[in-house]
Amino acid sequence: MIVAAWICLLSPLAAALLITLFGNGISRRGAGYLATFATLVSFVCACIAFFAVWGDAPDDRSHYSTVWTWLESGSFSAGLRILVDPLSTMMMLVVSGVGSLIVAYSVGYMDGDDEERRYFAYMSIFVFSMLLLVQGGNLLLLLAGWGLVGLSSYLLIGFWQERPSAIAAAKKAFVMNAFGDATMALALFLLIQHTGSVNFDSVFARAPDLASNHWLVNLVALGLLGGAVAKSAQLPLQTWLPDAMEGPTPVSALIHAATMVTAGVYLIVRTHPLFELAPKVEDLAAGLGAATLLLAGLIALVQTDIKRVIAYSTMSQIGYMFLGAGIGADANGMFHLMTHAFFKALLFMAAGIVIHALAGEQDIRKMGGLRGLLPRTYLAFLVGALALVGLPPFAGFFSKDSILAAAMHDGWYGYVLWAAGLVGTFLTGLYTFRMLFVVFGGEPSAFVREHLIRARRHGHEHAHRGEGPFSMTSTVAILAVLSVIGGWIQFAPLWTPITHWLDVVAPTLPQAEPTNWQEAISSALAFGLGLAGLVIAWLVYSRRRLAVPRLAFAQRALEHKFYFDEAYDLVFYRPAAAVARLYVRIVEPLAVGGSITGLARGTRDVARGVSEAQTGLLRTYALAIASGLVVLVVVFISVK
Amino acid sequence: MTLGILGPEVSWYLAVSAFLFATGALGVLLRRSPLIVLLSLEIMLNGANLALIAFARHQGNGAGQIFALAVMAVAASEVVVGLGLIVAISRRNLDLDVDKLRTLRG
Amino acid sequence: MILAFSAGNTLVWIVWIVAAFACLGSGIAVVSFTNPFFSALALIGNLGALAVLYLLLSAEFVAAAQVLVYAGAVMVMFLFVIAYLGGRADAPWAGGPTWQQVGAVGAAGAILVEIVVAIGLKAGGRLSHQQDVLSSFGSPRQIGRLFLTDHLLAFEITSVVLLIAAIGGVILGSHSRKLAGEKVQ
Repeated sequence: MIVAAWICLLSPLAAALLITLFGNGISRRGAGYLATFATLVSFVCACIAFFAVWGDAPDDRSHYSTVWTWLESGSFSAGLRILVDPLSTMMMLVVSGVGSLIVAYSVGYMDGDDEERRYFAYMSIFVFSMLLLVQGGNLLLLLAGWGLVGLSSYLLIGFWQERPSAIAAAKKAFVMNAFGDATMALALFLLIQHTGSVNFDSVFARAPDLASNHWLVNLVALGLLGGAVAKSAQLPLQTWLPDAMEGPTPVSALIHAATMVTAGVYLIVRTHPLFELAPKVEDLAAGLGAATLLLAGLIALVQTDIKRVIAYSTMSQIGYMFLGAGIGADANGMFHLMTHAFFKALLFMAAGIVIHALAGEQDIRKMGGLRGLLPRTYLAFLVGALALVGLPPFAGFFSKDSILAAAMHDGWYGYVLWAAGLVGTFLTGLYTFRMLFVVFGGEPSAFVREHLIRARRHGHEHAHRGEGPFSMTSTVAILAVLSVIGGWIQFAPLWTPITHWLDVVAPTLPQAEPTNWQEAISSALAFGLGLAGLVIAWLVYSRRRLAVPRLAFAQRALEHKFYFDEAYDLVFYRPAAAVARLYVRIVEPLAVGGSITGLARGTRDVARGVSEAQTGLLRTYALAIASGLVVLVVVFISVK
Repeated sequence: MTLGILGPEVSWYLAVSAFLFATGALGVLLRRSPLIVLLSLEIMLNGANLALIAFARHQGNGAGQIFALAVMAVAASEVVVGLGLIVAISRRNLDLDVDKLRTLRG
Repeated sequence: MILAFSAGNTLVWIVWIVAAFACLGSGIAVVSFTNPFFSALALIGNLGALAVLYLLLSAEFVAAAQVLVYAGAVMVMFLFVIAYLGGRADAPWAGGPTWQQVGAVGAAGAILVEIVVAIGLKAGGRLSHQQDVLSSFGSPRQIGRLFLTDHLLAFEITSVVLLIAAIGGVILGSHSRKLAGEKVQ
C-alpha cells in the first residue's frame, strides 16, 4: 500500500522527466499518451491505496512512510514523508482520477499545437505537485507541494507565451499566490518554534498545549488561512482566477476547477486541529467563503466570456467549501469538493468542445443555437449545469445542501451564513442557465453559421463522428456520468459513508451536525431557489418574456468586478511603481553611479596625476635620484 | 719593512674625494649636452675611486685597490655604451640635448 | 689631525697640495667648459692628478692602470667621438626650469655635506690611525696575487662585463636601417 502510494506520487514526475529528456525525440502525440498513461497509473495506485486503507480498522488508518530524512537537528527532524490516510486517499483519488481524464482530454484539445510536449510535461509536473501536496506527511512537504502547484499554474496559465495577456495573467496569479505562501510560511515558522516539529502527528498532538496562547494560535490560523485564501481565490485575493482563464481550457478544468483551487479547502481540513483552537479565525474563514460566493455569483451574471462565467462559478462554489470547513463540517466540505471536481471539470471540458468547434471563440454573445449542432455536448453541459445548481438527483444537490444544513445548526452566525448560501443557490441557478440558454438555445447566430455550419458543409470539420475527437468526447461522457451518480455516495442524514470515512481524520464538530428537520427545510429551500433561478433565466434569455433590469450603477459595478482590480492597483501597484521610479531616478545614480563610476573616475584622475611625474627629462630623473640619495643617507646616519 | 704614511692623513684624501663627487653630481644635473654629462659621470666615478684607494691604504687591505680596478673597468664599459648611444642619436639627426630627448614620457 | 712635519714630509705635502688642487680645478673645469673638447682635455688632466694622488697612497699599480687605461684608452675614445660629432658647443647653464637648477645645486651641496658628516661621525676617531704597510703594498705582484686568489670572481666578472660592453658597442655603432629624415621635436 505504501509502495502504491509512492508510485502514485512519483509516476507523473517520471512522465515529466521523460518528456523533458526525450525532447524532440518523442512525438507530440506520444508525449500526450505518456502523460495520460502516467496519470492513469497514478489513479490505479491511488485505488490500491484506497482499498488498502479501507481494509484497515478505523482507528489504524494513518500510515506514514519516510523515505529520506533531510534535516535533523536535535529533536527536530524533517524528511520526505508521505501520509496515507482516509483524507489523503480521497484527495488522491479525486486528483489522479479527474486529472487522468483531463490529461486524456488534452490529447485531443491540444492536438496540432507546436508546444504540445511542453504542455504535457507541465501537466505532469502539476499532477505530481498536487499529489505531493495532498500526500505530504509533514508541513514542509505540504508547503513544497503548495509552491510547486503555484509554479505549475504559472507555467500553464502563461503557456501561450506569445500572448501578452497570458503572461500578465500568469504573473498576477503567481504574485497573489506568493502572498499566500508567505503567510503560510510564517505560520509554519511559528509552529516549528512552538511545537518543535513539522510532522503532522507531532504538531497536532502538541496543539492543545498551545491553546492558552491566544495570539499564537490566532496568528498561526490566520497565516494558514491566508495561504488557503490565496490559493483558492477567495476574498480578498480572488482577482487572479478570472484572468487565469488565459490558459488552455484543460488547464482551467484541472487547475482552476478541480484541484489546485481546492487545495485551500484541503489545507483547512487537514490542519483543523489548529483551526479549532482559533474559533474566530474559523468564523472568518466561513464568512469569507460566504462573501465570496455572493460576490462571485453576482459578477458571473454579467460575464460574456464563457470560461469566465465558469471561473466565477468555481470561485462561488469554493466559497461553499470554505463555509463548510469554517463551521466545522469538514466532511461535507470535502464531499462538495469531490462532486464539484466532477461537474466543474465537466462544464469546462464541454465549454472546451464548444470553443474548439468555434475555432477559439469564447464570447457567448457570438454564440447561440448550438443545441442542434452539438447535441451531445449540449447534453453534457446540461448535466453539469443541473449538478452545479444542485437539483436532484444530480451530484451537487447532495453535497451542497449538506453544507447549508450544517450552517443552519450553528447559532445565529450560522443562520447568516445559511441565508447567504441560499441566495447563492438562487444566483447559481440564474447565471448557469443564462449561460446555457445563451450559448445553446435559440437560433444559430451569424458567427456560428459562418464558422460551424459552413465549415461542416465544406468538410473542414474533423473527420470524427461529430463534435470532437474521441479523446475529448469520451472523457466528457465519463465525467457526465460521474456528475450524475457521484453524489449518490452520501445522502445525509440517511446514509453518510463519507462522513464516517473522514471521521478519524476530520471529525465533524457537533455544532455542525444538523437535525433531520433542518436538513429537510434546507434542502427544500435550496431546491426551490435553484429552480427559481433556472425559471427566471429561462424567461429572460430563452423566452424573452422578461427583460434584464437596467440598473446602470449595478451593471457597472458588476462589470468591473466590484472594482477590486482598480483598488489593488491603487493601493499596491502604484506606490510600488513610484518607489521603483524613485530608485531608478535618484538612488541608483547616487549610490551606484557615485560609488562605482566615481571609483573609476577617481582612479583615472589619480593615474593622470601620477603620470605627470613621467616627464621624460633625463635631468629630472637624475635630480630625483640624487635627492633620494640625500634622504637615504640622512636616514642611515640617524638610524644606525 | 713597514712604512707609515707620508704626507697628509687619509681624511684629507677623503675630503678631496667628496668634493670631486659633488662636482660631478652638479655636472650631471645641470648640463644639457649628453657628452658633458658622461664626462661629469666620469668625475664622480673617479671621486669614488679615490675614496676606495684611500681606505685601502688606511686599512692596509688590498681589496680596496682591487675594487677600484673593477670600477675602472666598469666605467670603461659604460663609456663605450654611452658613446655608442650618442653616436646613434646623432646619426638620426636628433639634437644632442637631454631636454629634447624625452619621448619616453608618461 | 696631526701634522707630521719632517723634511721628506714637506715635499710630499707640497706634491699633495699641487695634485689636489689640480684635481679639483680640473673637475670644475670639466663641468663648466662649454666646448666638450676642452672638457675632455680637462678630464685627462684630472686623471693625471689622481694618478699622482694614488702614488702617494702606495697604489702604484692602480695609478699606472689609471694612466694607461683610463687616460690612454677611454679618454682617447671620448676624443674620437667628440671629434666625430663636431663638438657642438652649448650654453652650459641655460635651459631647464629654474627649480631644477636650484634643486641640483642643493642636492649636490647636500651630498657633499652628508659625506663629510657621515664619515666624520662614523669613522672620526679611527681615521687618525693608519696602518703601517709593507713596501710591497699596492705592487703589481700583490694586486696580481689578490686578483687570482681572494678576488678571482671579481676578476672574471669584470672581464665578462668588458666583453659585453664591447659587443654592445659594436651593435650600437653598426649601421642599422636608417629612418630617413627623422627629426624629433
